[in-house]
Amino acid sequence: MSSGRAHADRRALAAGERRFAILLVAPALLVLLATTTVPIAFLIWNSFQTINLAMPFLDGFAGLANYRQMSGDPAFWHSLQLTAIYTGSTVVMQLVIGLGLALLVLQIPRGQWLFRIFAILPIVLAPVVVGLFWRTLMFAPNFGMIDFATRALGLGTVNWLGSPTPALVSVIVIHTWQWTPFAFLVLLASLASLPEDLYEAARLDRASAWRRFIHITLPLLRPAIVIVIIMRAMTALSAFAAIYAATGGGPGTATEILNLYAYRISFTQLDFGYGSALAVALLVLTLAVSGFLFRIRTAGSGP
Amino acid sequence: MSSTRRRPATLRRVILTVAAALILFIWAFPVLWAVVVSLKSESEVLAYPPSVIFEPTLRNFRDALTGNLSIASSLMTSIILATATTVLTIILAVPAAYAFARLRLPARQGLGFYTLVTQMIPPVGLVIPYYLILNRVGLLDTYTGMITVYLTFSLPFAIWLMVSYLEDIPREMEEAAYLDKASRLQALWHVILPQIRGGIGVTTVFVFLNAWNEFLFAVQLGGNRIRPVTVAMHNFVSIEQTLWAKLAAAALVAMLPVIVIGILAQRQIVKGLTVGAVKGGGRR
Repeated sequence: MSSGRAHADRRALAAGERRFAILLVAPALLVLLATTTVPIAFLIWNSFQTINLAMPFLDGFAGLANYRQMSGDPAFWHSLQLTAIYTGSTVVMQLVIGLGLALLVLQIPRGQWLFRIFAILPIVLAPVVVGLFWRTLMFAPNFGMIDFATRALGLGTVNWLGSPTPALVSVIVIHTWQWTPFAFLVLLASLASLPEDLYEAARLDRASAWRRFIHITLPLLRPAIVIVIIMRAMTALSAFAAIYAATGGGPGTATEILNLYAYRISFTQLDFGYGSALAVALLVLTLAVSGFLFRIRTAGSGP
Repeated sequence: MSSTRRRPATLRRVILTVAAALILFIWAFPVLWAVVVSLKSESEVLAYPPSVIFEPTLRNFRDALTGNLSIASSLMTSIILATATTVLTIILAVPAAYAFARLRLPARQGLGFYTLVTQMIPPVGLVIPYYLILNRVGLLDTYTGMITVYLTFSLPFAIWLMVSYLEDIPREMEEAAYLDKASRLQALWHVILPQIRGGIGVTTVFVFLNAWNEFLFAVQLGGNRIRPVTVAMHNFVSIEQTLWAKLAAAALVAMLPVIVIGILAQRQIVKGLTVGAVKGGGRR
């Protein structure tokens, strides 16, 4: 091979490929830049402004005022606490119930498809409709089935969405109901793809079912579990429609997670400056949580 | 598969079956109950304890499609919005994903990371600046504005999903065809595209479902002229507080497309959900 020319050809080819690659990604990335990054930059800029659509004569540069207001705002800390409770509890419940279900369904020799079809149902429904269904058909006093069930059991009527703690429990139940099938389906598929021979070896060693689960299944499932946690945490952090439809953040602010608080400040109080600062806080929180989870994921897949 | 591991005893089998049936019931119940309620007359609905035996009527469904409670125009809006978003997203995402997955793309890691981060932006962080921007340029409550906003969540997701499909094609497929720019494009069109039809199908289903179900952007940036079914359903409850049978019927009509797609494309949806997770850390 005449090495000089072949080398030059290959370099020309590689350069051509690079140009082609840039040409292909450019439209999508430019659209992403324009539709996501520019508005986010605007959001951050606005968080340093006073923008109040109800009192536009006060508008102007505010420096850190919105962030100072945030640090002294009990409603903000309250919503942050609710966000932590909501995200933590829904993710843990989805994971535990989803994994338990996947292990259970794996034991059922026939009819696994039935589970897949039923599991799809909550996932494809619009969260706003899920919130409405639960608010009316399930939780409504004198109408909903849960109210009917608690009465039939002699527990009396609980005003599920009308009193603070039951309302928080309710929106957590609604979210868990809708998204556990996701964890279930992902973990079921992962379990089905685990290598059978490892289990054979463990069985020959007379390892108990519990030990096999702890020492074989869980470590092999780790990547899938971390993925599920990441995706479920992202969904929970940006949850809006189901809560908005079921309780509207209420009663009072009992179910007003940071997402809904930033929304209310902006669109009900029309304080877009402070609302922007709250949204920036949520953005930072989301990126920090996902960054942390991704680190766990890569740390685990090291060797 | 696992049944060969151990033969379950009869009692065990019974317990498993009962537990399984219970779970299926819980997942299906709100929708099944909505079907029951939607077939009741308004007076029947208010019966307490709830009646299960009654004379079913289709009146509520007729009212959902015609008359002053009709959501027909919202259905049309949702169809236009979701279809336009899906088509645009696929056209932009497939070439980009191809470059990410299979070509020597400069700064690939950085650009991939950027795409991933854009996917994580909480929607409320976008709806606030978008309200001010669209208001200023006069695009509030227009298809152009709404579709632009919908790209913010559909595009990163579609790129991400398509990359996993493109990485699975054997590399020899297109190598032969790489000579000049023209044949590169032909290779993408004739060699790669037929291979990833399945992946495009899965992505189409997901993007369409997400666009159909979107609520936050629609309620705040649309609402009057552009009122998709999700917003219509929410308005229904605020205006018609207690017409629960009609609400159930309208909600079922609004959700019928996604329920049908969900059941028909069940296999594809499970695949889309699990792609990456099952491959286990190997994607990025």
